[in-house]
Amino acid sequence: MGAFAFSDRPLDTAAERARVEDHAAGGYASFEGWVRDFNDGRAVERLEYEAYAELAVREGERIVAEAVARFGVRHARCVHRVGELRLGELAVWVGVSAAHRGEAFAACRYIIDEVKHRVPIWKKEHYVDGDSGWVNCERCAAAGLEAGAAAPAQGHAHGQDHDHGHDHGHRHGAGDARPDRHPAGLARPDYSRQVVLPEVGAAGQDLIRRARVLVVGAGGLGVPVLSYLAGAGVGTLGIVDGDVLEPSNLHRQTLYALADAGRPKALLAAERLRALNPEVDVRAYVERADRERLPALAAGYDVLVDCSDNFATRFVVNDVAVGLGKAAVLASVYQHEGQLQVVRPGGACLRCVWPEATRDGLVGNCAEAGVLGPVPGVLGSLQALEVLKLVLGLPSAALDAVVLVDLGTLETRRIRAPRAPCCAGRDCARLPGPPAEAEAAIELDVAALEDATANDYVVVDLRDAVEVALEPAPGPHLHIPLDRLLDDPAQLDAARRYLLLCARGQRSRAAALALRRAGLSSVWSLRGGLAARRAP
Amino acid sequence: MTAVHVQYYAVLREQAGRSEERLVTAAATPAALYEELRARHGLTLARAQLRVAIDGEFADWQAPLAEGARVVFIPPVAGG
Repeated sequence: MGAFAFSDRPLDTAAERARVEDHAAGGYASFEGWVRDFNDGRAVERLEYEAYAELAVREGERIVAEAVARFGVRHARCVHRVGELRLGELAVWVGVSAAHRGEAFAACRYIIDEVKHRVPIWKKEHYVDGDSGWVNCERCAAAGLEAGAAAPAQGHAHGQDHDHGHDHGHRHGAGDARPDRHPAGLARPDYSRQVVLPEVGAAGQDLIRRARVLVVGAGGLGVPVLSYLAGAGVGTLGIVDGDVLEPSNLHRQTLYALADAGRPKALLAAERLRALNPEVDVRAYVERADRERLPALAAGYDVLVDCSDNFATRFVVNDVAVGLGKAAVLASVYQHEGQLQVVRPGGACLRCVWPEATRDGLVGNCAEAGVLGPVPGVLGSLQALEVLKLVLGLPSAALDAVVLVDLGTLETRRIRAPRAPCCAGRDCARLPGPPAEAEAAIELDVAALEDATANDYVVVDLRDAVEVALEPAPGPHLHIPLDRLLDDPAQLDAARRYLLLCARGQRSRAAALALRRAGLSSVWSLRGGLAARRAP
Repeated sequence: MTAVHVQYYAVLREQAGRSEERLVTAAATPAALYEELRARHGLTLARAQLRVAIDGEFADWQAPLAEGARVVFIPPVAGG
């Protein structure tokens, strides 16, 4: 029997352990993956695993052999379940025996991580609500149906009926709550070029991995911020942007492609960043960061980065950061100049520098005043650097100061900005801001449907039973006819995000407006409905 | 009369047609200096919309203007 195997019956850990016993071994480490009752926000009842056995066993054996060679352990072994599993059942087991515990732990960790990345195994989740879905593979299949129209990030297409004969890495397995990751190949992120710096090291890299950074705006400033932070291995990256890509963005927003025009930038950025670094948990929020919404979004993050293009949002980001006691990195550009400010709890904030909330329209933004692409590129790169300094606990010259950067003359000037006496103890989050931006966009583009589940939207089909029978909605979704939803809006969970759809987008828009008036802020409508999906 | 060094940023630089200048002024405060320059260069922004820094630190508009001071006028910028 090889060092990697599948089993369609419950695993016998005692028997498996006996296979790696060795009198020359002074230590043994094992890992067990169990079926969990919750994944991706849904209550799970049971699971089915399915593997492309021939390929999977070959790849699994390769991984175990790599671990033995790399860590010099005595014996290593991995067994994975297939078939139907109940909650709490053992899904995967890894055992390693070695002369010393260090190699045993390291090899065990290596094997389970690599198996999850590289071995083609699929998981079908059966939810408590009676629904079910293939994790990972479902998205590939849906993309395959529309291949050519919306190119899937993983660059391949396969059939709706789950042709399992492809050999790219799918993540899988108990305990994996992030099915939206599609590692493109066998390569793993390698942070050695930054870890070697004395300011970083293994401990610093761990700080970066634990960091949770929310970037407001995925435009000229946001693109370098997001790219560098994803590259650096920041563990959780949130992206808030309600705009769609326009061709005029591309001279400074080089993460995107011309063919992406019309798609929401938050979703596009998420797709690119996941490809750049599959280890990063990327979360996209296709919405505007306003005073009502941002506090809820920001709660799960440590650092806020303002990459917006207007004063209203900049003050909102500042005020929310101050109100929640989080750090913020602010920047803005004008033609070939930029301003940079880092806000840390207890230090000077944006209002210490600009006591009067400045109104938009007073001085131009990029659309009005023009800007050369590298200018936000430089300021955004500085923001990324300041975020890493905050995370690593390094000193920064942009704290309690505004740094003025003139890229025309290449001169930098630091203006000290002490915390204003009036700032101490004041609740900036409650201060009146500049005139609010237009109400957060209520409609999402049809492209949002493709990534809806991965981006934490619960899709709700509002059509009646006859319509549903004629054309079922794609992907995982709930079916709640319009009248039943409006009769009882409380059946939606205020903490979740909902994407409503109907045939042409009119009923869903009206329902979303009604639900927002009823106090549910996280409800959107699919623009144009299912008909928009069929449009060329 | 006081000799000062003045720097302009963003829209002020555009309107003044220069990023810096040295000048001798009768103004005793940055407020008076800005009003003088505003008239000379046709600057459109009101003082309330700006901040002024003297010698690398944000300053009060009514602070005294010393000989050789480096004065920077800073409008807020929004682009991104």
